[in-house]
Amino acid sequence: MSATILIVDDSATMRALVRGALEADRHAVVEAPNGEAALATLASMPTGVDLVITDVIMPQMDGLSLTRALRDDPRFAATPILVLTTEATPAQKERGRAAGATGWLVKPFHPDTLRRTVRQTLAERG
Amino acid sequence: MRLEKEILLHVGAVHASAEPAVIKTLLGSCVAVCLWDPAVRVGGMNHFMLPQGSSTGPLDDPARFGVHAMDRLVGEMLKLGSSPSRFVVKVFGGASVLAMPASGGHIPQSNVTFVREYLAREGLRVAAISVGGTLPRQLRFFTDTGRVLVRRVVALRTQERLFVRESEQRRIPGEFGDVTLFRGGRR
Repeated sequence: MSATILIVDDSATMRALVRGALEADRHAVVEAPNGEAALATLASMPTGVDLVITDVIMPQMDGLSLTRALRDDPRFAATPILVLTTEATPAQKERGRAAGATGWLVKPFHPDTLRRTVRQTLAERG
Repeated sequence: MRLEKEILLHVGAVHASAEPAVIKTLLGSCVAVCLWDPAVRVGGMNHFMLPQGSSTGPLDDPARFGVHAMDRLVGEMLKLGSSPSRFVVKVFGGASVLAMPASGGHIPQSNVTFVREYLAREGLRVAAISVGGTLPRQLRFFTDTGRVLVRRVVALRTQERLFVRESEQRRIPGEFGDVTLFRGGRR
């Protein structure tokens, strides 16, 4: 199942790594360098996206603020959001869960693990 | 005389500070990147090497761990209120310490090539760079001023110890992070 996925990360290199992993599974990828840019990108896409993958620590708007903003918007309340971050403590993951994230992946990521998690998340969404 | 906190940075580590501190490290074939934001006087350093692998483009497998080392450093800097647009970037290391052809003489150069390509891709301009050569570098990075003192290490015993330690480190495969899927959370 191919999907449209938004990658939000301030590092162009990291976005390219994630894009490479997802395009190998024939997903269509759009990118944004921070939370504010992600909201602007989503606002310009009438059909939205199937999945958001976001970093946490970013300039302008961070990934957890983005997650909360999306959950407060009826259009994106049900869109799966995977957090992909260097942050790895249980307390940080709990903040992600409370913000409304669907899952939490700790960097560095293995491309196969990312693809498998994306497939599982899209399948559970139906 | 100021008494600043001193932090010794080992390979694989990252440290950033908003308080005046001296981050020290010893580099052979490894590389260290120092980032400094003059507006908020926040400084940080990482110290890493790419694990063994045949290729070192920024999107190749061994480089994933270099990308991770840079990602962690930038993240720690951002947490302390700095902005990438103000980063003063300095790069050190990549010496061919006691290099022998059988031990993979390209490794120091691979580390340096990776850092250069990564920084270019991220649009981060390098303000100062001291890489290559045959002598290890001892660094002292002052996080309140951004100043870096570099001393070449000529003591042969230190060079030998560093060479052994880095050779062992290079053989350790990098570890990937884990995955947590939240069930019954706010969906």
